[in-house]
Amino acid sequence: MQQIIDSLRQFWEFTGFYNCSWQNLVMIAIGITFITIAILKEWEPLLLVPIGFGMIIGNIPMFPGLNIGIYEDGSVLNTLYQGVKQGWYPPLIFLGIGAMTDFSALISQPRLILIGAAAQTGIFGAYLLSLALGFAPNEAGAIGIIGGADGPTAIFLSSKLAPDLMGAIAVSAYSYMALVPVIQRPIMLALTTNKERLIRMPQPRQVSQKEKIIFPIAGFLITAFIVPSGLPLLGMLFFGNLLKESGVTKRLANTASNALIDIVTTMIGLTVGCSTQADKFLTGNSLKIFLLGLLSFVIATTCGVLFVKLFNLFLKEGRKINPLIGNAGVSAVPDSARVSENVGREFDPGNHLLMHAMGPNVAGVIGSAVAAGILLGFLG
Amino acid sequence: MDTRKLFLTAAAIVLSLQAFAQNVSDLIISEVMAVPDESSVVDGYGEKTGWIELFNTSQGTVNFGGCFLTDDPSDLRKSPISGIDRSTRLGPRQSVVFYASGHGSDGTYYTNFPVRAGSTVYLVSNDGRTIVDSIEIPADIPAGKSVSKFAHDYRAVIFDDVRTTSPTPGSYNAGGSLETGAQKVAREDPHGWILTLVSVSVVFIALMLLWWLFAALFGQKKKKTPASKGMNPEVAAAISMALQSEFGSEVYAAIGLALHEYLQDTVHDNESFIITIRPSEGSQWASKSQGFRRYPALNRK
Repeated sequence: MQQIIDSLRQFWEFTGFYNCSWQNLVMIAIGITFITIAILKEWEPLLLVPIGFGMIIGNIPMFPGLNIGIYEDGSVLNTLYQGVKQGWYPPLIFLGIGAMTDFSALISQPRLILIGAAAQTGIFGAYLLSLALGFAPNEAGAIGIIGGADGPTAIFLSSKLAPDLMGAIAVSAYSYMALVPVIQRPIMLALTTNKERLIRMPQPRQVSQKEKIIFPIAGFLITAFIVPSGLPLLGMLFFGNLLKESGVTKRLANTASNALIDIVTTMIGLTVGCSTQADKFLTGNSLKIFLLGLLSFVIATTCGVLFVKLFNLFLKEGRKINPLIGNAGVSAVPDSARVSENVGREFDPGNHLLMHAMGPNVAGVIGSAVAAGILLGFLG
Repeated sequence: MDTRKLFLTAAAIVLSLQAFAQNVSDLIISEVMAVPDESSVVDGYGEKTGWIELFNTSQGTVNFGGCFLTDDPSDLRKSPISGIDRSTRLGPRQSVVFYASGHGSDGTYYTNFPVRAGSTVYLVSNDGRTIVDSIEIPADIPAGKSVSKFAHDYRAVIFDDVRTTSPTPGSYNAGGSLETGAQKVAREDPHGWILTLVSVSVVFIALMLLWWLFAALFGQKKKKTPASKGMNPEVAAAISMALQSEFGSEVYAAIGLALHEYLQDTVHDNESFIITIRPSEGSQWASKSQGFRRYPALNRK
């Protein structure tokens, strides 16, 4: 009889009920709330469902040493988490993005590439501000990349430079990307005149298949030779695009842009949710990161719009660029380009800026990957 | 800001308040003192004992609670580290010292075995089976000396140089001469202006090279758009009327509308800039119509 009682007691000590703390319950409640909102309201379900359920999985109280937790070497969750920790998932997502992206708008108007470069100033503006707020240089670099408006790049860089801040950085980047229309519109209106908003840009020329095939190869060679530390992101981005444009690897391009990116997105959401920890629930650093993330988007948008205005000083009449596409250098594809289109049509319903804005938009993707490579090279 | 955006922001803030931890596999046994002398450090009880230093090689925090230290490969769970002590988290590139007093009950940072010259010390993962790292102590190690793992390059974080040296418990085994990129930047560019200027310049140069390359390769080969070939609405109408003889009136209407929109600059297809009336099987337009019946059917019994 005593043996049975001892066995039951031992079993009880292994259960979640015995090992549970109030922090675990709070985190589980937040996870359930995320899932509920995602299902009932359909708000960002692709993000909230995996993260919400991951939070529940990651906060089930357990006895350490069972080799099942996300931080226990060799466990299933730990194996899946390696994609985040070692940075496998972001390049795979870039492969899918490359296979989905049409660089025609950029190839037809190569001068718009520079807008994508100008908008990366947001990354380095946030870097400077982070240093001023007391973050270490590697942490400041990881925070700054929020201004690149690219979730996978943010996860990749923060996993290398400041893993402790990765959760705050990743979620901050995704959130401000969702809030791009709210953040960018007032800045665009404040920095442009009515005359500038009415500028009509010339129709882009037709892009040949040959150009589309050469672009990913030439683009990769140039950027990777300059910034080899950006190799995982740049290589996968341009490789995915070559699969799409080559015309002979349609199956591979379809897989990369559909099944593969869906699988990786599921894994990254789940493991990011799993890795959230209750015992670091409220930290001042996290709140600072959110503030800096917002400022990085503001700086990036401002620099993009102002750069176009500066560029226009050197352009002839009829070749001028509508500064409303300056915001699209922030590489939240295609949200920031849509903002250009919508704001442009508010002032001239017949002036469609979307295809022009897609140029700096995809240039921003390349620019943010290059910037991430530079930061990794200096601070890694 | 609508409710949805407010929720997303709130959700993001909640999630941002989390932190990540790394694996215990990022830990190494960086230094061990086996035979203390008069100059050696004392433990919390005033005793001069041997000690074991662990070092976190990652850029993230590692929780080593629940792991084990041992000098016996047949008993990997010999000296457990408390799994409930909140202090068992080791920051990036930080080290922690365990006193090998032989009395594990003295506290979290005490082992229940003394370190002996000629033995090997193991760090075991919290599963009690996986050996994370080990270090061999020479049998002839002099008193007051420690055996340390050194990294020739801190950026690579590979500690491949094991040697006997003067003890440095709780500090880098690199003599202060080697440092990470971030440490170097913190020392040479504390405000970040140099890195910012260099980085912005490099981003611009990389993308400007792309611009110049494509301008040089394809800039002179611009194909004229239909509008620049002198096409006007009258030409479009003439083409449409000519086609009417071959196709039905629906085709005429479709071509006329498409050309009209194209010439009015209201078509903004950024895919290929080619107008077509051929239905695309994969497009959203086609997929919806695929679900409709061609003709309405009556339910008759």
